[in-house]
Amino acid sequence: MDIRRRAMLGMIALASISLPAFSAQAEDVTITVWSLDRDIQPAPNLIKEFNKLNTGIKVEYRQIQFDDVVSEAMRAYSTGQAPDIIAVDNPEHALFSSRGAFLDLTDMVAKSSVVKPENYFPGPLASVTWDGKLYGIPKATNTIALFYNKDMFKAKGLDPDKPPQSWDELVEAARKLTDPAANVYGLAFSAKANEEGTFQFLPWAQMAGGGYDNINAEGAVKALDIWKTIIDEKLASPDSLTRGQWDSTGTFNSGNAAMAISGPWELDRMIQEAKFDWGVALLPVPKIGSERSSAMGDFNWAVFSSTEHPEEAFKVLEFFVSQDDRMFKDFGQLPARSDIAIPPTGEPLKDAALQVFLEQLKYAKPRGPHPEWPKISKAIQDAIQAALTGQMSSKEALDQAAEKIKAVLG
Amino acid sequence: MKRILSSVTDGKGFDIGLVLLPLAFLFVLSGLPLVYNVVMSFQEVDMFSLGSFVRPFVGFKNYVDLFSQPETAPILLNTALFVTASIAGQFIIGFGLALFFWMNFPGASWLRGLFLVSWVMPGLVVGAIWNWILSGDFGVLNFFLREMGVIAGNIFWRSDPNYSLWAVIIANIWLGTSFNMILLSVGLSAIPRDLYEAAELDGATALQRFFTITLPMMRSTIGAIIALGLIFTLQQFDLFAGITSGGPNNSSNVTQYWAWDLSFRQYDFAKGATISAIMIVFVMLASVVYVRSTRHEVRG
Repeated sequence: MDIRRRAMLGMIALASISLPAFSAQAEDVTITVWSLDRDIQPAPNLIKEFNKLNTGIKVEYRQIQFDDVVSEAMRAYSTGQAPDIIAVDNPEHALFSSRGAFLDLTDMVAKSSVVKPENYFPGPLASVTWDGKLYGIPKATNTIALFYNKDMFKAKGLDPDKPPQSWDELVEAARKLTDPAANVYGLAFSAKANEEGTFQFLPWAQMAGGGYDNINAEGAVKALDIWKTIIDEKLASPDSLTRGQWDSTGTFNSGNAAMAISGPWELDRMIQEAKFDWGVALLPVPKIGSERSSAMGDFNWAVFSSTEHPEEAFKVLEFFVSQDDRMFKDFGQLPARSDIAIPPTGEPLKDAALQVFLEQLKYAKPRGPHPEWPKISKAIQDAIQAALTGQMSSKEALDQAAEKIKAVLG
Repeated sequence: MKRILSSVTDGKGFDIGLVLLPLAFLFVLSGLPLVYNVVMSFQEVDMFSLGSFVRPFVGFKNYVDLFSQPETAPILLNTALFVTASIAGQFIIGFGLALFFWMNFPGASWLRGLFLVSWVMPGLVVGAIWNWILSGDFGVLNFFLREMGVIAGNIFWRSDPNYSLWAVIIANIWLGTSFNMILLSVGLSAIPRDLYEAAELDGATALQRFFTITLPMMRSTIGAIIALGLIFTLQQFDLFAGITSGGPNNSSNVTQYWAWDLSFRQYDFAKGATISAIMIVFVMLASVVYVRSTRHEVRG
């Protein structure tokens, strides 16, 4: 009995030592990746290819919905169930990095031969930076510019090769193009009370010398006044206040708006739906020669600080980065990098638009970075809506927003 | 021992068991979250302390902060207006329809059943459809009103702060009317016909019969419906998400949507919980009315 028990104990002891050793040899390190990419988008496809390389790292993928990214990530992190790698929207990045939820990648990036910070556009890079350290790698990027209907320009006596350059020219063109009898508005944009409103307004404030930390600057007030003129004179549909960018640009595609402010995600649909000649121009600036600015969208990759395999996780990210040159061709997304020349797609309208967006990207600025970005953004949205509905003057509304933002910035 | 056992299988113990089981169920699934919500409204909560129970206690700070925000009073007023107008609209139209179908013309029960389609539809779908109907430039409602000669120019239902709340109220009345109608129909059919026959023989007019027989006989049903209506309207969220998102500039924002916006858009979970805690008080009041008005049904 005694001997048998001892033998048993020995066996168990042996097994418990050797089992993990065996399994480490037999099984790969598993890295989990969460992102919102669907099956035709980069993440799941790149992961499939990576797994075929048999590097000793096995990647598991889980798709999460856009609205759930932050709440799912939060819940997972606070209960210790976080994935190794996640893709988050760029204005949310600072929220995690400032709390130490994301891993500091600065040293690994410094040693890497694939990921080089100098290859990235400054805007996306700033969004993954917190306190001078890198907490992620930009996954892709996008920005907004001005789409315009060349046929309508010709019909109203405007030069289709000279889209409006300044705010005044934009309003002037919108006045000429607006034709209530034909159900045509001059411009389509979004002033919706969600992140989209902030996304569209902030570039206007930035090129006039404002910013989220200086939202009541004189130029920003001027920008909001211009928006108000556009809404008050019905140069854009009053429903711009409750309509997102996708729906607003839809009215451009159907010929009910002569110009639209939106991003490269519209291109594929526009090529299919728009039955007219169109072009893309840089966002108009306050005065010809003023500083340019634009919004910066899309997601970043990050590694959770709770990961057990930081080295392997970084290797997976390096693989993603090494495939950046196929992003536009295969998945229609713009890599956040200035060193990659995107090959022509063979679709002239799309290629011309791409050049404008690439130019515009140089001026794209991140929203924040600030850990309490949603509150800052909400203050800006409220100001836009209060001014455009005529409940406050642009100055009062932005002063109130500045007050709220000051409380957040501390 | 044997007595306890026999009481469990057949006696008072069995009754207690029957009561305890649902009570425990209610406590775990409703009571605990409610208590947790109230506790959260007295704490400082952010997304990273969401997983733990031990959080800094801040007393009434969340409540004070909430009521010092400029948008709080208008949003509370909006909620009151939304609830009153929705319930009034749903009830009056629902009662009218119930009385209409009560006349029992051929096909009445079929048509009444069809009305329920609106109640079966998911709120988000209803929201999306009304979003199109109420759209300013190409909305069906504007087209209809224009052709009828009621309005000269388009009304921007969703984007004009004077109309945005009414846009959601219209959609909500459409959504809730059939539910009111069905419950009221049930109440109507429970009134004995001979009462009306007797009244008619005594020469009571239709209006007199309605106010002296129908209304008094329906009192408990009406109480229950209004209480349920209050609860359903206070939890109406999908329509706001689908039609106006609370905008423009909070002109159509109500507490239930605001609580969600604070918690899951701005990640201010404590404030979201604070609003919910305030709402609990109102829902409790409605529940008391509901329980009181349905109490005699249990006795009968």
